[in-house]
Amino acid sequence: MSVFLQQLINGLSLGSIYALMAVGYSLVYSILNFSNFAHGSVIMLGAYFGFFAMTLLPLPFVGALVIAALGCGIVAIIVERVAYKPLRKRNAPGLYFIIAAMGGSIFLENLVIATIGPTFKTYPEIFKSTAFTIGSVSINKLDLIMFLIASVSLLILVFILEKTKIGLAIRASSYSSRGATLMGVNVDRVVLVIFLIGGVLAGLAGMMFGIRFTVYPTIGVITNKSFIAAVFGGLGSLPGAVIGSVILGLVETFAAGYVASNWRDFIAFALLIFVLVIKPSGLMGKITEDKA
Amino acid sequence: MKKILAVLLVFVMVFSMAACGGGGEEGEGTIKIGWVGSITGDQAVFGTCESNTIKMLIDQKNAEGGLLGRQLEFVGYDVKGDVNETINATKRLVSQDKVAGIIGPNASNLAIAMAGVLTETKTAGIATVATNTKVTINDNGELNPYSYRVCFIDPYQGSVAASWAVDELGYDTAAILYDISSDYAQGFRQYFVEYFEANGGKIVADESHNSGDTDFRAQLTNIKEANPDCILIPGFYKEVALMAKQARDLGINATLIGGDGWQSETLNEMGGKAIEGSYVVNHLDDNDPAVQPLKELYKATYGEDATVELNAYMGHDAFELLCAAIEKAGTDDPEAVAAAMTEVTVEGLTGTIKMSPEDHNPDGKEAAIQMYEYDEATGLAAPVFVKKYSPAN
Repeated sequence: MSVFLQQLINGLSLGSIYALMAVGYSLVYSILNFSNFAHGSVIMLGAYFGFFAMTLLPLPFVGALVIAALGCGIVAIIVERVAYKPLRKRNAPGLYFIIAAMGGSIFLENLVIATIGPTFKTYPEIFKSTAFTIGSVSINKLDLIMFLIASVSLLILVFILEKTKIGLAIRASSYSSRGATLMGVNVDRVVLVIFLIGGVLAGLAGMMFGIRFTVYPTIGVITNKSFIAAVFGGLGSLPGAVIGSVILGLVETFAAGYVASNWRDFIAFALLIFVLVIKPSGLMGKITEDKA
Repeated sequence: MKKILAVLLVFVMVFSMAACGGGGEEGEGTIKIGWVGSITGDQAVFGTCESNTIKMLIDQKNAEGGLLGRQLEFVGYDVKGDVNETINATKRLVSQDKVAGIIGPNASNLAIAMAGVLTETKTAGIATVATNTKVTINDNGELNPYSYRVCFIDPYQGSVAASWAVDELGYDTAAILYDISSDYAQGFRQYFVEYFEANGGKIVADESHNSGDTDFRAQLTNIKEANPDCILIPGFYKEVALMAKQARDLGINATLIGGDGWQSETLNEMGGKAIEGSYVVNHLDDNDPAVQPLKELYKATYGEDATVELNAYMGHDAFELLCAAIEKAGTDDPEAVAAAMTEVTVEGLTGTIKMSPEDHNPDGKEAAIQMYEYDEATGLAAPVFVKKYSPAN
């Protein structure tokens, strides 16, 4: 029983990392209908922003978290303005956006490799002891904090979307950006806000990931998993992204724990394919267009 | 223009022939020690240190009166890390320079490329730090009859680690967490399991992961449940650091055991307290008292700032092995020297070197066991030399 509980906690903690990353993918997809693969690199930058804020400045944990969030928000907006806006203006097909996103991702990754270097960095210790135990189950304090940050920031996001004017504009644009424009919504500003929010979440996710594991230029690869979680839950749907992430985290952990660790990815992805075959829009997705 | 070129070519040919002839006659005077390695390119650090060491040792030997009453002479070529250059240099050393044997190269791919020429010309080559199994055993599982090496192969670390755990530390149970997509880890694990089980140990958990993974808690939770005395992590520093931290978080206190993949400043920093008390198997420890004289001699010869790599010690042992074989053969005839190679035993700096006739690897060679100590003040862990050790059985 204690092993089961421990694996459950491991899975939830992995899932909450995925969730924080996956929401960024879903948010952009809901408005612009393309997968922003540069998101992974923005997450990676978040890990570096937080790291340098804590080691060079040096700021306490919360201060560094703010720097990472804001820094990534700004980077995400720059990426949008430089790489996507020209394409949006020309009404370019979705494929071009994806290629621009991949280009942006490779650019950022190599920028970091060239300027900072490919070696691993470790955050300074935040707590003297990182884990505490209840019975025979050990819980990492960082996981709890990460879970809290993920929950709070997602709740704030829901509040913005449901209760504010800009939230209404975002929701309107996600149904039909043309219709929203006709109703007097400044879609350009909506896109900017979307990227700001996505960037802030990326900053939080990146820094938490960096603290939990380590910081290196190809962190972005991990975010592939969270992208898959977003597809699994239904791209474009925020609850879908969260639920998809948690399920992926649990499935991976239980597959590794109870079947065999080398079967983990096989089982997780077989489940993904199965769900997409049964319900192509993902668990909670509404749109059934291409999910590229 | 063509005529000038033709004339030039003729000159070149005549001179090279003359050079050949001259070399042959001189061969009676000195015994030539061949060396192949990279003094330029990305392996330059290793090659430079290795050739410098051998030159220095030849001078030392000559000052003591040489071998078989004759002086030694260094003949080395820079192959720039290139396979074709290696083959050419080997051919040249054998056919023109008429060396007694060849020391080097440092890299496995070059040593493998060289094997064919060595077999053809019946000349022994002693690789220094080429750890790939295929250096001495080819793809078909046959012995390369003239290829030798003084370093142990990667998987051998598994036997040493297992013996250290079961014979020396008295552990009965072990868990393994390894990268399923890595040759290095697979071989290491296999040798570990074979030795550990043959000597009364029991593997209670055998978990794997994929390369690039960062979260190992699912596997570690299983390992915790199995409650082993030690955990073998035959991986590289990044995974090791993450695994060690996550294991300690989960409340696993078992001793961690690893190999030379751990060696890194990054691990010392990232692993910190989590890797305290862990044991690793390594080729050599820089602080081993046995290697200090060579280190001092090297620095005295090439300046205080000269860095002494593993190649210096391996080069030293390869040189001693070649000298012993020449002495045993009583001649500098390459084939006779090669035949004597498996008959001599040399007390090297990196351990006792006795070429196994079956696989031309050093038989039962000692490895250095290191233990990680943690410094509370700096927050860094560092490996500390424990002793030289070879599997008990």
